[in-house]
Amino acid sequence: MSNLILEIKNLCHSYSEHALSIENINLEIGSGDRVSILGPSGCGKSTLLRLIAGLEKPDQGEIKINDIKVSDNKNLIPPEKRNIGLVVQEKALFPHLSVFENICFGIKKNKDKDLIASELLNLLKIDSLKNKYPHEISGGEQQRVALARSLAPKPNFLMLDEPFSALDEDLKETLYKDISQVFSDMSSAILLVTHDRNEAEIMTNKQIRMEEGKFL
Amino acid sequence: MNRLTFWRLLPFAVLVVFTAPLLIVLSSLFGDYSENWSHLFQFVLFDYVSSSFILVIGVSILVLILGTVTAWTVTSYNFVGKNIFEWALILPLSIPPYILAYTFTGLFDHYGDANNLARLLLNLQNSTVIFPNVRNIYGAIIVFSFTLYPYVYLVSRSAFINQSRSMKESARMLGLNQFQVFYKLALPLIRPAVIGGLMLVIMETLSDFGAVDHFAIQTFTTGIFRTWYGLYDIQTAMQLASLLLLTVGVFYIAERSTRGSGIYTSNNSTFSPSKEDSLVGYKALTAFLICFIPIFIGFILPIIELILWAYEVNLEFFNQKFISSSINTLSLSLVTGMICAGLALLINFSIRYKPSALVQRFSSLLSIGYAVPGLILAVGMVQLLVYVDALLLSGLDIVITGSLIGLVLAYVIKTYALANSSIESGYERISSSLDDSSKLLGSSGWSMLSSIHVPLLKTSILTSVLLVMSDVVKELPATLILRPFNFETLAVSTYIYASEERMLQAAAPAIAIVLIGLIPIVFLSKMIRSSRPTH
Repeated sequence: MSNLILEIKNLCHSYSEHALSIENINLEIGSGDRVSILGPSGCGKSTLLRLIAGLEKPDQGEIKINDIKVSDNKNLIPPEKRNIGLVVQEKALFPHLSVFENICFGIKKNKDKDLIASELLNLLKIDSLKNKYPHEISGGEQQRVALARSLAPKPNFLMLDEPFSALDEDLKETLYKDISQVFSDMSSAILLVTHDRNEAEIMTNKQIRMEEGKFL
Repeated sequence: MNRLTFWRLLPFAVLVVFTAPLLIVLSSLFGDYSENWSHLFQFVLFDYVSSSFILVIGVSILVLILGTVTAWTVTSYNFVGKNIFEWALILPLSIPPYILAYTFTGLFDHYGDANNLARLLLNLQNSTVIFPNVRNIYGAIIVFSFTLYPYVYLVSRSAFINQSRSMKESARMLGLNQFQVFYKLALPLIRPAVIGGLMLVIMETLSDFGAVDHFAIQTFTTGIFRTWYGLYDIQTAMQLASLLLLTVGVFYIAERSTRGSGIYTSNNSTFSPSKEDSLVGYKALTAFLICFIPIFIGFILPIIELILWAYEVNLEFFNQKFISSSINTLSLSLVTGMICAGLALLINFSIRYKPSALVQRFSSLLSIGYAVPGLILAVGMVQLLVYVDALLLSGLDIVITGSLIGLVLAYVIKTYALANSSIESGYERISSSLDDSSKLLGSSGWSMLSSIHVPLLKTSILTSVLLVMSDVVKELPATLILRPFNFETLAVSTYIYASEERMLQAAAPAIAIVLIGLIPIVFLSKMIRSSRPTH
């Protein structure tokens, strides 16, 4: 395997005493790998992503990113210090910022931010939306903006949580094609969470099934 | 201090400051009891208790009738003016009880405008009195009821709107007439909501000082004021205040507990809003009068009287004194509004940023100030400032007792709940996924607050500042006690003029208070208009 970007060992997490949402998960993802986790709703896929992002703290086990321990049951490096991108189904675009400002949000201090944002607008074919606000664009366009915003800080690890599930089939096909192209041009590792086998097979080269908080 | 500790400790630190004056007041119960206390206990305490009890009972009955009947009328029937009455019924909220009391005496005293007009129209002698004297407990019951019934109206209306049409139709099919549907079905179903509104009314009634003082009724608040300013005995005043605080505490707990208990309303997908029956003829006239009379007595009549008074003194009221008290009032209310909004923003952010059940529970206690009578807060604040001056600032050349600091702090404690409710509901509309995205993109803590939350909460912040301002402008007893020497606000000017029976001069500041008090009414009426059910 290429250089390890993500390393998870014996990860366990539960939201309450009686409900174990993640049970003994082990996972390794290397640079440039494109992995998907397939499973039904409520199986713990999104919780796993939130644990990796640092939005939740594990009960047991550890998570390493770029060989640095970022989470265990005692320590938690905050999300903003992990250099991870996350795209979620509801896009979570900031409604008071334009498309361009949304993309620049994570690179405010970068002097090349205009250039980076323009490249991403071009790459994701949303140049014409630059000055529009989230409520003025369609769901598919919003998803492209959310992806551009996550890619702007050049994360070496990008996670996508059911990013296309709210979109119609025709739009999905176009996005799969365009975004796969974007992914193939970059070296970041990708972790996709979805319940759609077709999407997993098109977008990634390795699929893992998950059920009731465990990898099968 | 690291960031985590700051956000976790903030609500607790604010809670300590907010509850300190109240704890000081309550601690007096464990101190010495002077001769004045024995005197009060023997001769007047029973009067305070009995008149407060009669006031509470009388006001409760009247606001229940006014609030529920008007709410039922505008939600169940269609008649001329209904769309206006829906929001106009809350207008009396903009008139503080003490201003209604002043105008009532101006209207209904022996030589009041209403009696003069009646004598003129009926060609009666000067000694004849048509309208009875209102300077008694019954007059006070009417004053409180007609200014406070909107609390019950608001909750009743929203609960009636949520009652399903099919439920009422089933009741009609089972033999109940319209009136029976109201008192046997609709009214019992909204009981929890109505009790919540009623508790607010009772707390306001017990807290009032201006109206009962004007009518010379012996209640706890007038007793506290006289004990302090007449007998110069702050210890006994605090002991009296403690009794009132404990009484108000009972109603506060009752009000909070009704929030948890659900209103029995239809919540299923087949819910259909109630259909309004169109009224014509005498029925429409009755419905019109049911809604018009409370607005007339609680808003139109006092406004007319105030305008007449202002007109009689021509533009003389527009003098240096009026301008300076207006500027004082606006600056104090603006500063309080900004502090309250800022605190509410930081505390709600800390709850959201570092969620903790303990912090959440303690934070809800921060709103306790709205239930505390201004007079009690003022008594506790004076003692607190004296302690701070003696213990912390004695070495320095600073004295904060009698300064504006205590007054602003008392205002902040009293009105924080208003700012908090606006910011809290604003936060409920911001998805937590925005916070997650912001954190992952490198913005957390202050950066997230300033670049994401503040811009998205702009309207809520502005609303909270305005709500606080309109409440501060009305506050009388705390201002009266805590203001620096010779510092006047609109409420204080009104009170001083009225207590000297210079009603004409009291009109201008009173009108200014009402105008500013209309600000939250505009917001509320907007909400009411947007909450109309669609059929």
